[in-house]
This record gives sequence, C-alpha cells and structure tokens, in this order.
Amino acid sequence: MQQPAHPAAPPAKVAASIARLFGPGARVDTVSVDTTDVLRVSRADSLLGFAAVGNVLGKDQPITFLVAIDPADRLMDVDILVYREPYGGEVAYEPWRRQFRGKTAADSVRVGKEIRSISGATISVHAVTLGVKRLLAVLTAWHRSGAIR
Amino acid sequence: MGGYGEVHYTNPTGPGTPPVASLARFVVYLAHSFDDRLALRSELEVEDAKVEGGAAGGEVSLEQAYLDYRLAERLTLRTGLVLPPIGIINETHEPPSFNGVERPGFDHDVIPTTWRELGVGVVGTVPGKVGLAYRVYLVNGIRAEGFSGDQGIRGGRQEGQDASFANPSFTGRLEWAQPGWKVGASFWYGGTADTNSAVGRGAFAAPVTLLSADARYERGPLALRGVVANVSVSDAQAINAAYGQSVGSRIAGGYLEAAYKLLQTLSAFARHERYDTQADVPVGVTRDRSLARRITTLGVTYKPTWNTAFKGDYQLVRNAAGAGEHQVLSLGVGYQF
Repeated sequence: MQQPAHPAAPPAKVAASIARLFGPGARVDTVSVDTTDVLRVSRADSLLGFAAVGNVLGKDQPITFLVAIDPADRLMDVDILVYREPYGGEVAYEPWRRQFRGKTAADSVRVGKEIRSISGATISVHAVTLGVKRLLAVLTAWHRSGAIR
Repeated sequence: MGGYGEVHYTNPTGPGTPPVASLARFVVYLAHSFDDRLALRSELEVEDAKVEGGAAGGEVSLEQAYLDYRLAERLTLRTGLVLPPIGIINETHEPPSFNGVERPGFDHDVIPTTWRELGVGVVGTVPGKVGLAYRVYLVNGIRAEGFSGDQGIRGGRQEGQDASFANPSFTGRLEWAQPGWKVGASFWYGGTADTNSAVGRGAFAAPVTLLSADARYERGPLALRGVVANVSVSDAQAINAAYGQSVGSRIAGGYLEAAYKLLQTLSAFARHERYDTQADVPVGVTRDRSLARRITTLGVTYKPTWNTAFKGDYQLVRNAAGAGEHQVLSLGVGYQF
C-alpha cells in the first residue's frame, strides 16, 4: 500500500512551529480555502500572519513543510515538519531555510541563484524550493483576494 | 520508484583500442514505506546492458537494499546492503551529480565505488549542532584474497553475496553542511584475513584502515570539490605471500576539481587526480611507478534540467613511469529521476 501523497502534519509539530514563529499563546483559527487549511494567527485584535502546511515529493517520499507569511505577505520562515528520505535532510538546517526569509511572491526564488544549494541534497533542495514558492504564491493570492483576511 | 542511468562512448588513443559505446548503467530505484517510520529502499542495477550465461561482461546486482527505521527525528536505524559513507561519489553516484563521463579513476582504484556491504548502523544528526550529521555502520569485512597491486582493495569487496562475516568492520562518516558547503571525514577499519590463517588469525587480522576527507563548495557559477584518501594495508607482505599479488602497504591519493557555469545549463570543468596504489610497498615488492597515476580531465557538462546531463571530456592519462600513457575522448548522457 502506498503512503498518501499528502500526509497530514503531526498537530504537535504544527503547534510548535506556530509558537516558534509567532510567539507562544497566539490565537490560531483554521480557514479552509479550496481543500487547503490555512492557519490564521492573531493576538488580541491584530493579525500576525498566516501559515499553511504543504507536501512536495522528494526522491520518493513526500516532504511535509510549513510556510508562514506576515500581514504584508512576506515569508517569515519555512519549517520542515516531517522528512522521510534517507539522504538530503540538510534542507531542515536553519542556515539553509533562512535564505527564504523576507521573500515575497514577486521575488525570484531560484536554486543556484537566490537560494544556494547543498551538495548531496540536490533533489530535496529543488523540491522544497519549488514547494515553498508555490505555497507562498497561493497564500499571497488568497490574502489579496480576501479569501483569507 | 525512481532510477538513474548512463550511456558512455569512449575513444582512447593508442593501437588496438577502438572506440567503445556502452549502456554503462541502468538502475531502478524502488522504495516502499511500510508505515511512517519503517521504509525499504533499494537500487537494482544492470551494468553494460546485458548479462549472458558464460559470456564475459555485464552485471546485474543490487547496489543497495536496506530497511530504515526512524527511531526519532534525529536518529534512524539502518540495516541491509548499505553504502560505506566514504568520499563523495560512493553515496551520491547519480550521473547528473558529477562531472565527467566516467567516475574519477580515484573513485575506482582508491575508493572502490560503488562500494556496498551488508551490515547495520545508525544515521542521524548531532543534536544542538546545526549542520552536523553522522552515519556509522558495522558491516562485513573485505577479503584480502581479492586485493591487487593496480586496483588496491577493490577486488576485496563482497557486495552482499554470501558475504563472510569473519572480519566485522566499522565504517562511518561525520559531515558538516551549510548552504554552498559540505565537508566530510570518513573511515573504514576492519580485518581482511577471512579464514586464511596464513594471512592472520582473529577478527581483526590483517587490518585495513582507510581515512578520507572531502569538501564541496558552490558559489554563484563556481563549484569546487576535492577528496583525499589514505588506505593502510598493515599486513600487505603476508597478503602478497598468500595470494601472489603485489598489493601496496599504503594506497593514497586524491583529486581536485573546479567547474564554472558558462550558462545556467552549461558548465566547463577541469579535474586533476593523483593517486598511487603502491604509495608504499612491503618487503618483497618492487614499486611499479606506472601505478602512480596522474589523470587530468577537461570537459563540459550540459544540463537541460537539473536531473539530466550530456557530458563530453578529454582525459590525459599519465603516470610516474611514463608507461602506456594515452588520451581518452569520452561522450556520455546520464539521468536520474
């Protein structure tokens, strides 16, 4: 039996990721757009940002990651929630993920240009970069269209 | 499911050496996840397109086949036919990942890629130290019976076929990665006598110690990589006496490679290898200086996508004795998915 292509993220990992990015005790509401659950994060009455979980195929396993954006649609950070491949786990390293911070959907995000690769993790580097780019674009479009607010 | 493959065309200079084309490797990668923690990974390879009963050449083999059990986020237990984590090419050998049609000669004669043995080990990252990862395995040993003067320990690999476990061996690697950087240090230690008491007695008889270091650096259009290795064959004299070979007591060397992206899809590279499978010889062996090899490779790699490569290169194959020196022109294609 094949593993689902889009396995759910462990809730504890998502919660830990949200707490790390937005600080502890923030309010999290789930908004469903199409089939994607977007997490709306706020404190008191002010919006802190949005986050969503995505999956992208590595060599043969899905890589489950989270992307968070601030209210101005700038990428706050990427978290690798579950990594299942035998090689290429370097994409979870903070110095690599850090390269995405501050990017917007309008920015160019290319491996070997804006994003430096990691030797021996090429497949995962390309996969996660593509996955982050897509999720950032989708979140930005939904925010601008008012699908999430 | 995935795979990789490569087709080579090589045209060496010199009499009686016609150009040769071969489907060097066709590999099918199969993986299966039994659950979120337990997975099987395997690579089944056909070398040189076909294998015929009684005919020379060609090989069908498992390149790797192991079970991974993820104990924790940072710790995986691995068992089966594993790749000793030595140097750059042994673990990462998909053709688009390296320059040049053929793998470096160093990765044939000093580090005998694709090196795989049966065993068990752990794979993980060092907690609290971002970027630091390790792999350590206990595997079956290599057998001195297969060692040779010109290919070092290569013929001693057992590759998972009725492997003798008379000489349990250890192999491992510590590596540090950053965007654009990867450096690693690897080792192998184990006996090689197998059941031949003339070579030695005990689990660690006639030990081989391999130490290797490697580095890869990428910045903008520039990519640099280098590997060095030193293999000590402690009882080379006894091994040579038992099997009539001329195995060196020390096998050593390395290479440096620089590549430059001329376009997003096209890079040019130069590699220089220096290695000697008789860097030191035991009593009874006269050093053959033609084994002190110096290979310079100049070439181009065209990658229309990151996982396909069209390659061409020109090699100057030299040695310290100046014997049988020649040039080789090679063309190749490779892919992975």
